[in-house]
Amino acid sequence: MKKIIQSLALLALSGSIAISAQATTPEEDLAAFQNFFKNRFPGVPMEEYTNGVYSIDPIGRENWEAIEEFPPYEPFIDEGQSMWETPFANGKTYKDCFPDGPSIKGKFPYWDKQQGMVITLPLAINQCREANGEKPLKYKKGPINNILSYIAYESRGQATNVVVPEDDPKALEAYEAGKKFYYTRRGQLNFSCANCHLQNAGMKIRSDILSPALGHTTHFPVYRSKWGTVGTLHRRFTGCNKQVRAKPFKAHGEQYRNLEYFLTYMSNGLPLNGPGARK
Amino acid sequence: MISNLMKAKNREFFRMQIKSMLKIVSLALLLGFGLATQAEQTAAPAADPKIAKAQQMIDDADKARKKAASVESEWRDTGKMIKMAKEALKKGDSVKAMQLAAKAHKQGVLGYQQAMAQKDQGTPSYLKY
Ligand code: HEC
Repeated sequence: MKKIIQSLALLALSGSIAISAQATTPEEDLAAFQNFFKNRFPGVPMEEYTNGVYSIDPIGRENWEAIEEFPPYEPFIDEGQSMWETPFANGKTYKDCFPDGPSIKGKFPYWDKQQGMVITLPLAINQCREANGEKPLKYKKGPINNILSYIAYESRGQATNVVVPEDDPKALEAYEAGKKFYYTRRGQLNFSCANCHLQNAGMKIRSDILSPALGHTTHFPVYRSKWGTVGTLHRRFTGCNKQVRAKPFKAHGEQYRNLEYFLTYMSNGLPLNGPGARK
Repeated sequence: MISNLMKAKNREFFRMQIKSMLKIVSLALLLGFGLATQAEQTAAPAADPKIAKAQQMIDDADKARKKAASVESEWRDTGKMIKMAKEALKKGDSVKAMQLAAKAHKQGVLGYQQAMAQKDQGTPSYLKY
């Protein structure tokens, strides 16, 4: 634990953070965000960022490529397919909720004007289940990862394309809330997401190299060796909040939904490549 | 004969007197005890001001925690500390309870300040527009 604090203290010193409150559009944010990485890692092609830290860590990459030869997430895809195909007790299936399914990941997250909130894929899955009299699935661990793995796999190659519709000011508010969340320092160790994954991307923190924020959403759910299983994006958010000693938020509650909305927007244009494998 | 009878009657009377006196005394004793223990119960917090103080500190810490949470800035361990403080108090360890509550309170205050300090922030300067 001491080591974490020491390496965080070092990171905190490296680079001041003057912060400007000038209003910018999502398009401007996107350009600035992606340009930041183009300048920071000039040799790395855009699409490479979908591979997380392995886009900038050649040693870790070798290991990862070996793992990808026998993908540890494969059994989860198969399980997810049978979930997708197995009718609910009322005889309906997921397909009745998602007629374009299973390759639907590219449509999420999106702003739902009627519900007045960001709808994430896991949330939509649970709304579908509840509408059909089934119990909702837990959001971080367990079977939700199977169906998400299957949908992610079937959606490979679709482009990230988050839209902030202009006909509803609340959509922009949600995006701005997610953006503010990303840049706000939290927890006893006083770190923002951006401190690690933007400002200090590529730096070492204990045995980890900090991955670039760009591409952070393309490959979920992810098989993590540390977890020994597949986990969701919001499980990862939870872990990253906890490690700076901030109290995590509810998975698919408002804060994390808006965070996902902003963070996914920042990867607009990048292809989806889930499920992924990480250390 | 008569005097003997009188003596016996007197003895009987005497015995009854004593019996009823004993009854009253024991009743008084019982009452006294009861009142005493009751008094002890209500007087206990007053007798140990640390317990009341610890409880007050725990309540304050929880308020501070909630205030930090209201601006999305609660720290990870604050709630745990408050829980531990409550447990310590239950076990009668008011000193430990106060220490934990003080720490939790500080975290709540700092978490709130942390959020307030960043209230008007936008994007960081290392992002070039
Ligand atoms: C103290 C530094 C730190 C902070 C602050 C931090 N993270 Fe992380 N994060 C890490 C580390 C270390 C990893 C694992 C190695 C890697 O991929 O960067 C990680 C991994 C991730 C991943 C998975 C990347 C992948 O390729 O699978 C995501 C997504 C992520 N973080 C998002 C966030 C978000 C959102 C926040 C803010 C709520 C955040 N992180 C805050 C250190 C941090």
